[in-house]
Amino acid sequence: MPSPDDTMRAVEEETPVILSARRMAWMRFRSNPAALIGGFMVISVILAAIFAPLIAPYPEAAGNTIDFANRHAAPSAENFAGTDKVGRDIFSRVIFGFRVSLLLVIGVLGIAVPVGAALGLAAGYFGGRTELLITGFTNVMLAIPPLVIALAVGSILTPTLVNAMIAIALLWWTWHARLVYRVAKSVAAEDFVEAARLAGASHWHVLTREILPNCIAVISVKTTLDAAFVILFGATLSFLGLGVRPPTPDLGSMVADGRQFLPEMWWGVFFPALGIFYATLGFNLLGDGLRDMFDVEV
Amino acid sequence: MALLDIRDLNVSFTSYGQRTHVLRDVSLKVGEGQRVALIGETGSGKSVTSKTVLNTLPGNASVESGQVFWRGTDLLTRPDREREKLKGIEMSVVMQDPLSSFNPVFTIGHHLDSVLYWADRRAGRRRGRAERTAHIRQVLRKVQLADPDRVIAAWPAQLSGGMRQRVLIALALMNRPAMLIADEPGTALDVTTQDEILRLINDLVTEEGLSLLMITHNLGVVRMTADYVYVMRKGVIVEHGPLKQIFEAPQTDYCRELIGAIPPLYGAAVKDQPLSGEPPLVKLENVSKRFTRRHLLRRDETVDAVRNVSLEVPRGEIFGIAGESGSGKTTLARMVMGMLGATEGEIVIDGVRLTDHAEGRIDRRMAQIVYQNPGTSLNPKRTVAQTLDVPLHFAGLDKAARARRTDELLERVDLPRHFASRYPHELSGGQKQRIAIARALAADPKLIVLDEPTSALDVSVQKRVITLLEELRSDLGLTYLFISHDLSLMRNFCSHIAVMLRGEVVEQGTPAEVFADPRHPYTRALIAAVPVITDAEDAAKPVVTEAEKKRFLVSSAA
Repeated sequence: MPSPDDTMRAVEEETPVILSARRMAWMRFRSNPAALIGGFMVISVILAAIFAPLIAPYPEAAGNTIDFANRHAAPSAENFAGTDKVGRDIFSRVIFGFRVSLLLVIGVLGIAVPVGAALGLAAGYFGGRTELLITGFTNVMLAIPPLVIALAVGSILTPTLVNAMIAIALLWWTWHARLVYRVAKSVAAEDFVEAARLAGASHWHVLTREILPNCIAVISVKTTLDAAFVILFGATLSFLGLGVRPPTPDLGSMVADGRQFLPEMWWGVFFPALGIFYATLGFNLLGDGLRDMFDVEV
Repeated sequence: MALLDIRDLNVSFTSYGQRTHVLRDVSLKVGEGQRVALIGETGSGKSVTSKTVLNTLPGNASVESGQVFWRGTDLLTRPDREREKLKGIEMSVVMQDPLSSFNPVFTIGHHLDSVLYWADRRAGRRRGRAERTAHIRQVLRKVQLADPDRVIAAWPAQLSGGMRQRVLIALALMNRPAMLIADEPGTALDVTTQDEILRLINDLVTEEGLSLLMITHNLGVVRMTADYVYVMRKGVIVEHGPLKQIFEAPQTDYCRELIGAIPPLYGAAVKDQPLSGEPPLVKLENVSKRFTRRHLLRRDETVDAVRNVSLEVPRGEIFGIAGESGSGKTTLARMVMGMLGATEGEIVIDGVRLTDHAEGRIDRRMAQIVYQNPGTSLNPKRTVAQTLDVPLHFAGLDKAARARRTDELLERVDLPRHFASRYPHELSGGQKQRIAIARALAADPKLIVLDEPTSALDVSVQKRVITLLEELRSDLGLTYLFISHDLSLMRNFCSHIAVMLRGEVVEQGTPAEVFADPRHPYTRALIAAVPVITDAEDAAKPVVTEAEKKRFLVSSAA
């Protein structure tokens, strides 16, 4: 048995004086103004979406109201983003439009990220035939133009939010599969994975407890950056008429609606587009900040 | 007047609002033509000292006070532009890592030529390409590279580690500097190659009349290459003096401990491990391993990693496998662990053939492994407790039993219980290795494969880890298969030793026999190359002829 002396000596061995990894990461994040601004923008979008009925000056504008007397009103004190072709307040509709965008993000990434991560992990860890099969399938899927498959799904099924989600998620997992595959493959080659296997650990344990925690940083950065793209892609689909059904306010379809009245009634396009821009930029800045914070490559 | 004279240097680093004082009142002198060594363990500040002289400190470092005199002028007061001019012309540095020092997309010739070109520009000289190439050839010959034209045309990846190190030295010598700063030269290389490199540096220093500042952690290297020694610890020069004085009559406890931590190669202090006299636990019979790389269009390439090896590892002993990189020792260990299948031959462990085990994998209660690099063998995202929990969980222990066993294991490796909640980055190298040992013990194995377990550690830490391993062996009745290239360590730690060369075992026996009378010329060359710290040990080394060296060592000159 070791003497207390031995223990002391082992402890004395230059125990490094370090900040915890989490604190270091937080300090990196905090000293990055762009990331902080991005974080603020994302939080404001989320809060706006959650509390839309409280924030919007005319919550009824989200519904089927019609106020022909006030149609195409220019930005003013009452409607500072103006009104649309049936007299609904555009600012209120943009606030509600964030709800649809965020639901789309949650729906798409909620399906695509777990599926992609699981496939990527399996391909990276097991290797051999599993790897060949998964990476091969991923590459085939990556070769399909996303807009084409989304249009196909949209025209086969009825254009609803859920169908739009399915259409996007069908392709989105591929990017996560690729990314996680790359990281998992390099982590799987580390000695600690072999050591866990030699200690009797099951494949499930190795995948979920040893490899996955080392992929979390990459996954979360990618997911944040993806949120921006999903919002954009969703807006594109609804612009083409494949998104939600009226009268639900949706940023993409609002732009499409306003387009008919350009250039005189510019506010019908400008403010919904500004909403898309704001949310997208927020997620992008935040994602970039997280990437620096975790010091990973995505 | 000394060439380089550092006086009361204080340097600190600031990261995320925290300031760390890394050099405290460091004073150091290098005279004209003098060979000075700065020795210290990891994090002692020796590299920071050389970076201060070279003006290559990172942005978050600041010189608090002190002077660095070069030929009488204080460099710290001079502008960067002026200091830049000294680099490569007055003082040159030889880096530690011979591969990452070269940009892989340029040929060696391109590297050397551009260095020369810019040095010419700075000195206001003009030379044509042909003239520069002639000069490069001449310098490459000076570092004893036999075929300069081939080296000039080569890509960095095409040269061996030893050759790259020679090219780096050539780079440093290109403009006839007055002083050479060598930062751990040859540390990444095999002993025999390191030996050649150190001899080369010594020759050059004498021939060219250079001053040398040798930065190293290896006392044997210091003895070979220095006349005056500074010992550094935690940013402080704890002791300095002529080589003889430091080595034979050290004044401070730290120096005595440092010197005492080095395992002796010969002499009265050498320890002989007892033989157990028990039947073998592991038996290898004519084991070979051939790796095949399949090609679609060309013929398949095969590499014989291990050739016809027969060994018997007696129960309760420490069986050492010695060899340089690429000798097949790690492949052999992986075969014993059942992680690789043998191409030919049979491995029998505790009376059972390895191939009879399920999936060809060895039972985890039979054998475990401790890896060379504690940095990659522990999952950075899992705490010590979580890491130790894996083998216990899969051995079917319940929660309370696992917690108890974790405490026990930590105690076994001399770490306090509260270390259970730490993450790997909160541990020092030695502590990480202790956790790796604890993890191996958790499965209650009979055999532990130790794959260079101390090569990434400082000598004083190495000594403590080795002591721990010895204790564990006698307390728990373990058998070790110890893989290493460190012969002086093996002389003291192993009860049996086998020397491998290109996949074959060329010699085996007890360390006492092998070291007293090495039969195979390769073994003799290997032992002769070990840097030792006393003249008596040097004298006791076996003699190798040049012809033998040529036959068995890969020369870094050709």
